[in-house]
Amino acid sequence: MMAISYAAAPVAVRDDLAAAHAQAWTALAAPGTWWTGAERVAIAAETRAARDCKLCLARKQALSPAAVAGAHDRRTTLPEAVVDVAHRIASDPARLSRRWFEDVTANGISDAHYVEALAVIVRTVSIDSFCRGIGLAPHALPEAQPGEPARHRPVGAKGGEAWVPLVAVSDATGPEADLYGGARRAPNVVRALSLVPDEVRLLRALAPSHYVPFERVPDPSFAPPGRALSRAQMELIAARVSVLNECFY
Amino acid sequence: MSGETSGERYDLTAATQPGTESGVAHGAVLIAFAEAVLGSDGDRLHQTRAHLQLELGNAALVDAAAIVATFEQMDRIADATGIPLDAVVDIASQDVQAELGLASFASSHNTPSSALGRLAARLIAPIRTPMMRLASRLLR
Repeated sequence: MMAISYAAAPVAVRDDLAAAHAQAWTALAAPGTWWTGAERVAIAAETRAARDCKLCLARKQALSPAAVAGAHDRRTTLPEAVVDVAHRIASDPARLSRRWFEDVTANGISDAHYVEALAVIVRTVSIDSFCRGIGLAPHALPEAQPGEPARHRPVGAKGGEAWVPLVAVSDATGPEADLYGGARRAPNVVRALSLVPDEVRLLRALAPSHYVPFERVPDPSFAPPGRALSRAQMELIAARVSVLNECFY
Repeated sequence: MSGETSGERYDLTAATQPGTESGVAHGAVLIAFAEAVLGSDGDRLHQTRAHLQLELGNAALVDAAAIVATFEQMDRIADATGIPLDAVVDIASQDVQAELGLASFASSHNTPSSALGRLAARLIAPIRTPMMRLASRLLR
């Protein structure tokens, strides 16, 4: 297994950030809930491939991504439908649609497989983006670990709110009792991956070192101690990134 | 919104209209850096990173990169799952949504507009600021 390190980074990276990224990279290579470790690493590889994919670039420039046909510049032997998921989410998330999602599931990718793939994709985008920001080359992808996926689907996951089933706070019981940290409410963006509970757990574990703990987000006066940026500065960056991504949420 | 609860004045349109003075310290430098990380111009990224380091220091660079990374992740989670905006946030942010023109984003379709929500937003508008300050104190 290749460990992630910021020892050679051009600037000193906080210990909590480095630890969070190490945890995320280890999880990337391990068997997940629905994908094997090898498949998860392959999804990460396709996420990176999207940046230079000619089809993705052409679709991004077109009025509608559906207007441009073709095959992705792929790096793995993953099924084409999975490659498309990775490339589309990485390169053009603003124009994803329910229709596209329904086509994905019609092509044989279950909603749970989709959610776990999404988690791998966004985590890869996130850590690669951090490296790009501080002027470091992307980390080498980790070596896949053997083992079978856990195949756990939470009984409390229900459809109707979003494209994928979500677990409400009131339904986070049994194996999911810890999912939202005992909070009475959880924002939809935290519940979005709840069809694959381990991905919510990892998302919550990573948040404090990057931004603020999710339960403190609604308190605009809260800023993590010891940070160089104020909460207002953090929110300004967040707002600009979200506008550039055309993310309404 | 954080400005309302703390009594400071910020111009949110700085997020949608580059060049607008946000009222946030070093706002222009931070915005330029965020844009460059998301862009494809390596020289621009190098310049904005150096500028940020000069004005705010290396620790601020790391923090800024971490925020960009977080929202590159969270935006995709939201847009790839079709989650609607939480009802309370939607009601409280109607005027902000209108001011920033957020309805033009394709993902706005994931949050259905309701007459009840718009009515609630109008009703709480006069008391929104004190409500948010109270909520902020209760959340501490």
